Amino acid sequence: MGLELRSDKEFRDAMDLVFQLMDDDDEMGPRLRDADVPQRFEFDDIDMVLNVRATRDGEPGNLHWEWTDDVDWEPKVRMKMSAETAVRYFQGKENIPIAIARRRIKTGGDVKAALALIPITKPVYAMFREALEERYPHLVVS
Amino acid sequence: MPPEPGDLPPAAESVTTAEAARRVGVAPSTLRRWVREGLFATPPDDGRWTPSVLAHARIVARLRERGHSLEEIRDATNEGRLAFGYVEDLLPSINGEHDLREVARRTGLAPKLIERILAAVGFPAGQAEVLSDDDVRMLENIAEVLAAGLPLVALVQLLRVYGQSLAQIADAEVRLFHLYVHEPLLRDGVPGIEVAEQMNDLTQLLPLASPVMDHVHRRYLLHFVEQDIVGHMESDLGGSGEELGRLRVAIGFADLAGYTRLTEQQGDVEAAGVVERFVASVADTLPDDARIVKTIGDEVMIVSTDPAALTDWAVGFQTLLPDVSLPRIGLHAGEVVYRDGDYYGREVNRASRVVARAGAGEVLVTRAIVEASDRHLAFDYIGEVKLKGFDEPTELFLAHLPEE
Repeated sequence: MGLELRSDKEFRDAMDLVFQLMDDDDEMGPRLRDADVPQRFEFDDIDMVLNVRATRDGEPGNLHWEWTDDVDWEPKVRMKMSAETAVRYFQGKENIPIAIARRRIKTGGDVKAALALIPITKPVYAMFREALEERYPHLVVS
Repeated sequence: MPPEPGDLPPAAESVTTAEAARRVGVAPSTLRRWVREGLFATPPDDGRWTPSVLAHARIVARLRERGHSLEEIRDATNEGRLAFGYVEDLLPSINGEHDLREVARRTGLAPKLIERILAAVGFPAGQAEVLSDDDVRMLENIAEVLAAGLPLVALVQLLRVYGQSLAQIADAEVRLFHLYVHEPLLRDGVPGIEVAEQMNDLTQLLPLASPVMDHVHRRYLLHFVEQDIVGHMESDLGGSGEELGRLRVAIGFADLAGYTRLTEQQGDVEAAGVVERFVASVADTLPDDARIVKTIGDEVMIVSTDPAALTDWAVGFQTLLPDVSLPRIGLHAGEVVYRDGDYYGREVNRASRVVARAGAGEVLVTRAIVEASDRHLAFDYIGEVKLKGFDEPTELFLAHLPEE
């Protein structure tokens, strides 16, 4: 623990970065699009919400996300966590079942679908850490 | 089956009928009769036996020893069923013949110890009478490891783990290749000779397994070395005084409640798929200090050095799996014997009995787990339960997330 998030904007940039990495990746992007599991992430300590879904026909890329609840789709999975937990989670430093048991992550909806995404998204952990080292080294979890 | 000394020629070499007969272990006239009877999809050319035809002849000889008629073998050849034997052609030749005493002198290992080593890796009895060049190299490596200071008791266990694990890998490679490559070709009615050709192409992929295994092995080695360092540090801090070969760990068993009914309702293949997804989910989510020791049907055995983390994982894992076939999980902690890569003892048996008492979606734990766990979980006392095979009762608790 003990990550120092300097601003909400910094957190939002970091999350945009991780979703962009997944979107751009030749392996993860298409697999996440095919899995088609709309997710809602609520970062309750900073009162921010991110909704993400697979791109629709005609849209570029594999994933589409918006920082609002005002979206025209229903999430299939809901995850609530702090901003710090999210940064740790996308670096592979937060074990989901343990985080659930320790109330660091709260889940809702079709969590089984979320479980299926874990092996797909694992490659992003190292990519995200590498990207953070360049831009936000203070957010890298050792 | 473990490898036995053979004398296949190098891949490019072809041999005469007389030499082929010697290597297959039959008379030259028998080989010529097999050719006349059409037992080979690609008969020897001008009396020269190529390695692939020779490999096929060895398969025919084995089948004859097992009582199969020439007609059955010919039909199997025509249907492409024997094409799988060509994989043998791709394996490196086994060269050299060394007797036990010579190898003992060369390696500095006593003859009895060599026999013990070969038995530990699972080679058949009598293997030590004639040893190949590769066998000798392996024994020289083992002698170096012993000279470097690894105790014999540990080495023999390690060799048993190598033998069992590699036998399982080789068996899986052959079976999966057969099920997913060979059988579909046969089902599609591909003529025998084409099956042989396609199998020959595909079997060239099998040696690629070695670099994959080497890489995976190195990755796991690094992981477990790190775990061991952490474990040593923590046990030093905790002042734990375990006996040699004994460890204090948390043991978990998880299985799918209602699996038998699921198999009946949905069939073996679908049920096997559910088990595969379940085991993959466990493997994908376990904390770093836990690992799957083995799977037995729909049951997974897990060991962890951190009882609190394993309990948290189990409770969290149950919330992630609202499936038709919910797992049940039993956890216990105690001192166990570590031998041959597995965990044994009374406390392991107790953990396996705990899961038998759990219902679908439940995590049942013993007092040892409750005492090691953190306060964010709730533990409902069930009572003292007489577990099968244990004289004294065991206190059981239901672990779950507390109400918000």
